[in-house]
Amino acid sequence: MLLRRLRYWIGSARRSAALNEEMELHLAEKAAELQADGMAADHAQAEARRRFGNVGLKHQESREIWLTRFLSEFSQDVRYGVRTMFANKSFSALALLSLALGIGANTTIYSFMESILLRSLPVADPESLVVLNWHSRPPRDGSKQAVHVMHGVQGMAWPGDKGAMVSGMFPYAAFENLRQQNPVFSTLFGYFNGLTHNLVVRRQAASASTEYVTGEYFRGLAVSPAAGRLISSDDDHPGADPVAVISFAASQNRFGGPLNAIGQSILVDNTPFTVIGVAPPEFFGVDPASAPDLYLPLHSNLLVDGDRAARMYPDSNFYWIEVMGRLRPGVSMAQAQAALAPRFHQWVATTASTDGERAKLPVLILNPGAAGLGGLRRQYAKPLYVLLAMVALILAVACANIANLLLARAAARSREMAVRLSLGAGRFRVVRQLLTASALLSSLGGALGVLLAIWGVRSLTLLLSNGQQNFTLHAELNWKVLTVTAVLSMLCGLLFGLLPAIQSTRADVMPALKNGRGGGPRRRAQNVLVVAQIALSFLILFGAGLFVRTLDKLHSVQLGYAREHILLFSLNARQAGHHDPEMTTFYANLRKHFESLPGVSGATLSQSSIINAARTGQAISGTMKVGAVAIEDTHVLAVGSRFLATMQIPILAGREIDDRDQSSSLPVAVISERLARTYFANQDPIGRHIALPDATPTLSQRAPKRDLEIVGVSANLRYGGLKNEDESAMTMFVAVSQFFPDRVTFALRTTGDPLRFLQSVHEIVREADSRIPVTNVVTQAAEIDRTISRELTFAKLCTNNHWYRKHNAVNRSWNSKRM
Amino acid sequence: MGRKPQKNDSLPGSLDMLILRTLSLRDLHGYGIVQFIQQSSNNELLVEEGSLYPALQRLELNGWIDGEWGVTSNNRRAKIYKITTAGRKQLGVETRQYAKLTLAIARVLGAE
Repeated sequence: MLLRRLRYWIGSARRSAALNEEMELHLAEKAAELQADGMAADHAQAEARRRFGNVGLKHQESREIWLTRFLSEFSQDVRYGVRTMFANKSFSALALLSLALGIGANTTIYSFMESILLRSLPVADPESLVVLNWHSRPPRDGSKQAVHVMHGVQGMAWPGDKGAMVSGMFPYAAFENLRQQNPVFSTLFGYFNGLTHNLVVRRQAASASTEYVTGEYFRGLAVSPAAGRLISSDDDHPGADPVAVISFAASQNRFGGPLNAIGQSILVDNTPFTVIGVAPPEFFGVDPASAPDLYLPLHSNLLVDGDRAARMYPDSNFYWIEVMGRLRPGVSMAQAQAALAPRFHQWVATTASTDGERAKLPVLILNPGAAGLGGLRRQYAKPLYVLLAMVALILAVACANIANLLLARAAARSREMAVRLSLGAGRFRVVRQLLTASALLSSLGGALGVLLAIWGVRSLTLLLSNGQQNFTLHAELNWKVLTVTAVLSMLCGLLFGLLPAIQSTRADVMPALKNGRGGGPRRRAQNVLVVAQIALSFLILFGAGLFVRTLDKLHSVQLGYAREHILLFSLNARQAGHHDPEMTTFYANLRKHFESLPGVSGATLSQSSIINAARTGQAISGTMKVGAVAIEDTHVLAVGSRFLATMQIPILAGREIDDRDQSSSLPVAVISERLARTYFANQDPIGRHIALPDATPTLSQRAPKRDLEIVGVSANLRYGGLKNEDESAMTMFVAVSQFFPDRVTFALRTTGDPLRFLQSVHEIVREADSRIPVTNVVTQAAEIDRTISRELTFAKLCTNNHWYRKHNAVNRSWNSKRM
Repeated sequence: MGRKPQKNDSLPGSLDMLILRTLSLRDLHGYGIVQFIQQSSNNELLVEEGSLYPALQRLELNGWIDGEWGVTSNNRRAKIYKITTAGRKQLGVETRQYAKLTLAIARVLGAE
């Protein structure tokens, strides 16, 4: 009965059509009969219709026969379900809560997966976009020294299959070559991440992330402007008028709307540009991991970056431009690869100068570009799969738990069921009724879960971004995610409802009627469920334990420098137009200003924070020597006055870098204890010299011997991140005034909350030079945590599980009471 | 929603029985059923033709008859209904009930 009715209901439209056909036939036959009796054709048809009665009404009545019964029974079941839910308030509340948590967690994680792994770029026809990559054997493969046609790279290379090196960067000449007479692409366009630049709008300075794009970029992506016009081929050649396109968000934040921005002049690192257009609001470039504020023509980097940029264009061994293409209609990715790979091979072979380089030439590969670049996916895909598995397990436990409770309840109701069955209730009808009740429960749980997920997405975004400024991962609950949630809820309802429903209607009527005690099969099912539940909980517990242990380990790491009460922020005076000798004084004066703030016990600066230093590169590149011995595996950090004191790194001998170390004085260095032990075994290193590499630029004028004098020894410290770095790496501090970096990071040691001093910092910087934005503001503690954000995220999510397990235990004891 | 199919036949419920009886003799499509009832009753029983279809749906839903697409005697595609075993049982039940009812009515009418 139930199945047939369900079939009727599902096939309702088809049935309705069949009914129409039947009625039409009836009318036609009737008319034919009347006509045979001598009636005129049109008359006969009218008469047939008259005798039949109201066709529409009869159709409606027939439909109601199969529809309304199902619906009325359905609404009966829903009412019944609501009644049972209210009759067992504590059970319903617990079930709803655990379902909401489980479904909410799954929805949250899934919405992240959807945004990272499944979503397409917001451009027209994303399917025809392809990203150009290459792969080759790694530079150190089979040789002691790095050998590769790629002599230098600006951008990323990552490990591929079988130890290969994969990258999306190309020399400019390769791009030019591939672009010529291209039979497979309708457009081929390039771009590179310009990182952040100083953007001055109406004398207000702020840091802006920048993307340099070729003239075909916007045409190739098929993006239309929100206002003005976008960069075209005419804008992208040396000597073209400097023009810029800004993002929709930037137009609102900086100009008060897209239309106000058009034609305005702006300064990018002190170079004037004119805003010609605004990108559409949903457009974020080609990399979901970053959303540029500013799009500049590729060749305008000649104006902004100067000589460095001019050197990149002709260098066929420097890889720096990323390339994407739009396939011509009807051309497949494989065809395009077959057409372009030989051409690229031919070109790249001409750039190899040795046999070693020729042995591992890059091979061109095409990848689908619909989802944009893969950086974010590479970074987050694995943790997200792990998280999804974890929350799926949690939901499974929740379902098992509820099924178990329902079984316990079924025991209490076995008498009622027996009465109903013996009074002639159809078994399917009863099962359907019970299933409707559990579906009701699970859809309510799902609805609550969506509410939880809204909160979950917000807090997980916060967790994952961990204070990163331009974090652009925007997970959202779109209809796709909600559909999955709805299906998931229904599935849960079936999952936990089906077994108890079947079990409770299977009860042998006679013994149940006699004494109302549950039979054997129910108990067996319950035991299986309990075992499954314990197994799953154990699995989750084990995973959570591992994450928490990892975190404990990371947190107990000896840093060798202060973690708390330190405020970090970055300034880049060069981008605002300062130049070398004067810039050092500018920074030194700022430092003194900061130090004089009440509540600030120390202020210093360095080329980057200690935690970030491994990523920003060495202050001195090349091999340094002590006598004839080369110093290996040493980190060099350029620091300002009072760095060791502010960071609370103990000075074991001599002195630290201070105001005495000017650009005009002898270059000095402070070395870590381990470095001292390794290279000056039993001698006093103070006063000894370290020879600098030959081509070290921007050296102090009074250093004819081109070497550093060791003035102090510091304690060991952990350099760079917490995970991979050596516990007590060899470290060397040199004076920031003698190795002029562009950007510096200031560190303030404060009493109380470091962020409290932000306002004063902004005021001091604005007073000194309003063109310089204060960027990368973070406390030292937060920056350290950021390097282990993935571990933190897992551990924090697991502590929520902790709560869940407790709640589960309550559930179980309640359950056993009922039994 | 809860509107009941209106029946215009002389005795409530007898249409179902007549359909079942007709189909117990041979498989027929909708119009054929109407014709058969009229002819075999010497045109005494006039089925309101429109009411036939809700009745057929009801009978099919109850599993008493089964409709399948086939071809009529004059070669037109139509849904041909046949009675099921449950339908025959139901016909028996209804026939007995009807006999009881008519007997009771006859007794009342014949009482003096």
